[in-house]
Amino acid sequence: MGRISLAIRSFFSILFSGSLPEDGLIKLGLTRRGAPKAQTASPPAVPRPADGALQMLSILQRDARLIDFIMEDIAAYTDDQVGAAVRGLHDQARESLARYVKLEPVIDGVEGTFTKPALSDPAVVKFVGNVPVGKPSGGLLRHKGWRAGKIDLPPLNPKQDSSILAPAEIEVE
Amino acid sequence: MKYVIGIDLGTTNSALAYAEIRPDADPFDTPEVRLMDIPQLVNPSEVRDEPLLPSSLYVPGTTDFPVGSLALPWDAEPPFVTGRLAQKRGVENAGRLVASAKSWLSHAGVDRTAPILPWNAPEGVPKLSPVDASSRYLDHLRRAWDAKITDAPFTEQQVLVTVPASFDAVARELTLQAAERAGFRDVTLLEEPQAAFYAWIERHKDWRERVKLGDLILVLDIGGGTTDFTLIAVTEQQGELALERMAVGEHILLGGDNMDLALARLVAGELAEKGTRIDTLQLHALWHNCRIAKEKLLAPGARTKEQPVTILGKGTGLVGGTIKATLRREDVDRVLGEGFFPRVSSSEMPQRARRMGLQEIGLPYAADAAVTKHLAQFLRQQASSAEHERVRRGPSGLAAPTHVLFNGGVLHARLIRDRLIEVLDAWLMAEGFGPVQPLAGEDLMHAVSRGAAYYGLARHGRGVRIRGGVPRTYYVGIESAMPAVPGMASPLKALTVAPFGMEEGSSVRISGREFGLVVGEPAEFRFFSSSVRKNDTPGAMIEDFGDDLQELSPMEVNLTSTDGTGTVPVSFETVVTETGVLQLWCVARDGRRWKLEFNVRERVAQ
Repeated sequence: MGRISLAIRSFFSILFSGSLPEDGLIKLGLTRRGAPKAQTASPPAVPRPADGALQMLSILQRDARLIDFIMEDIAAYTDDQVGAAVRGLHDQARESLARYVKLEPVIDGVEGTFTKPALSDPAVVKFVGNVPVGKPSGGLLRHKGWRAGKIDLPPLNPKQDSSILAPAEIEVE
Repeated sequence: MKYVIGIDLGTTNSALAYAEIRPDADPFDTPEVRLMDIPQLVNPSEVRDEPLLPSSLYVPGTTDFPVGSLALPWDAEPPFVTGRLAQKRGVENAGRLVASAKSWLSHAGVDRTAPILPWNAPEGVPKLSPVDASSRYLDHLRRAWDAKITDAPFTEQQVLVTVPASFDAVARELTLQAAERAGFRDVTLLEEPQAAFYAWIERHKDWRERVKLGDLILVLDIGGGTTDFTLIAVTEQQGELALERMAVGEHILLGGDNMDLALARLVAGELAEKGTRIDTLQLHALWHNCRIAKEKLLAPGARTKEQPVTILGKGTGLVGGTIKATLRREDVDRVLGEGFFPRVSSSEMPQRARRMGLQEIGLPYAADAAVTKHLAQFLRQQASSAEHERVRRGPSGLAAPTHVLFNGGVLHARLIRDRLIEVLDAWLMAEGFGPVQPLAGEDLMHAVSRGAAYYGLARHGRGVRIRGGVPRTYYVGIESAMPAVPGMASPLKALTVAPFGMEEGSSVRISGREFGLVVGEPAEFRFFSSSVRKNDTPGAMIEDFGDDLQELSPMEVNLTSTDGTGTVPVSFETVVTETGVLQLWCVARDGRRWKLEFNVRERVAQ
């Protein structure tokens, strides 16, 4: 490969892909710093994005039996029966939620009072009702919103299958 | 040494407090005592800091927890689980749970150094001795300290471990053994009610203005599993107010757990009447829920007359399987007020357990649940010890406290505190005294560990010390030289070897009585104690002592001598070490000494 051809190929290679061509490197006696190694099998312990969600579900089931409750067909039961079960469940679910996720309002105000939001990001503040063109100056705070302040979930056991939300239980007589 | 560490090794929960030793600090300034949160497994794979370490130990089997989920910051694969997770899992599988190890430690009916716990474990489960189990909790606390406070290794700090005032010399010795086994180096024992009182002093700098000379303070300590009474007198020493521990009660295995279980059984009985039977696991859930419901009903300002208690369905059908019941305030009042804290006169004594021909070995739970009757007995017993003129007494001889200090989780409930004060006031009125004054104590769960840390500083010259000494009189049994009568044991006399109130760091030689011990053969002595007889002086020989004396584990000495065999005449010497441990020595005429050791094994074989 001639010098001119190498210079031109290198120029375009850098221009379009941001790096020198492989054969050019060899020719110039260069090596890439931090070159990607051959793709070794990645350790299975890398948490998948769903793990955190599954863990939270698993915690709420363990502490408050939330999945049992939601998955149960409660149509047949009286309000009294549902109420009896839910009281304990509510206390427990609230306790574990508070422990692992610090929940705080998006706007710390009194619901029903006039509020001027500082932000206009629709993901943070949602305007409802007669919304004018452009950013409204304010309105009645209908819902304070929820924000997860600090998430403090215990580390996952890499040897454990996170898709098991609750183990089956067998009572030995 | 940078800190003093106070450890409350409780029957149901343990706690740790610490204070910095600062020689330059103002001696009149109250030192700052801090609590340490204890990292522990609360769920598999979840280590969390908790203010208390439940004194529960679980022996995990292969099917109990997922692999690797028991790792602690200081141990990747611990052989046992201690703390909250052990307590939780123990409900589901009681056969592998060790609970109330401390009560076993003071139970003379079993060999306390033999692997006997979990008591009802199925065949094949590795077992621990009560000493081992206790040392596991202490070991956990030591490692937790080293994991959290990295600038001051635990073994280089001064450590105080609290024991119930009612612990006898054997149980104290075994507690020390547990501490040594857990790698503790510099350990001192302290009685819990005293520690609770130190915590009160720590919180009230002006304590000298709150009590006066001649006052008598009753410390009432009702924990999860045990009840403990102590009397502390305010005395004078070189013109300064001083404190002196006058009396301690017997070990009563009765506490908050019994009360919650009584409520659960009441609710279970109501359910059974309606045709719903519950099993052991459900009773446990009910027990737990009754405790929560009770706390809600008795919370300050609570207006509700009843609280729902539910046992959720076991399977995935949650609502369908839910058992619903109600705990009524009136039931709580009745069960606690009549069952545990009845209004009784000060002459009503607790019922004694009937002696059965064959008694099931297990923990010797109190036969009578009435705490007030146990209290009456305790205050009455002081009547027989007239030598303590500093104890305020009524015409009938009843010890009459001027103040009362509450300690232990049960006494969070105002209902119970009020009832105890009401009962005490009635007794005092009958004796012609005014009402008792409650000393405001805060933080009933942590007072003992806080107070222990304060006491540790007091030993360094900061703060006031309660003088106490040995809380019982100790005796060695001597068979009288009389012709044997068939069918009757030869009458036993008791030689006083340690007088009541013998102080830490002192020793006493029992002269006038020598024993011939054979060299090379173990000699055994029967060993007795009494919390009632307080006037016996060292060397005094007691006959016809009836129920006043309680037999402890025997003591054993093995004389080894270089100069062959023979009989060596020896006399006894009693030593109470600076750390509060009672020791008995055999001393030969030429000054050679041999220490007597407790033989906890022998007792069981008899």
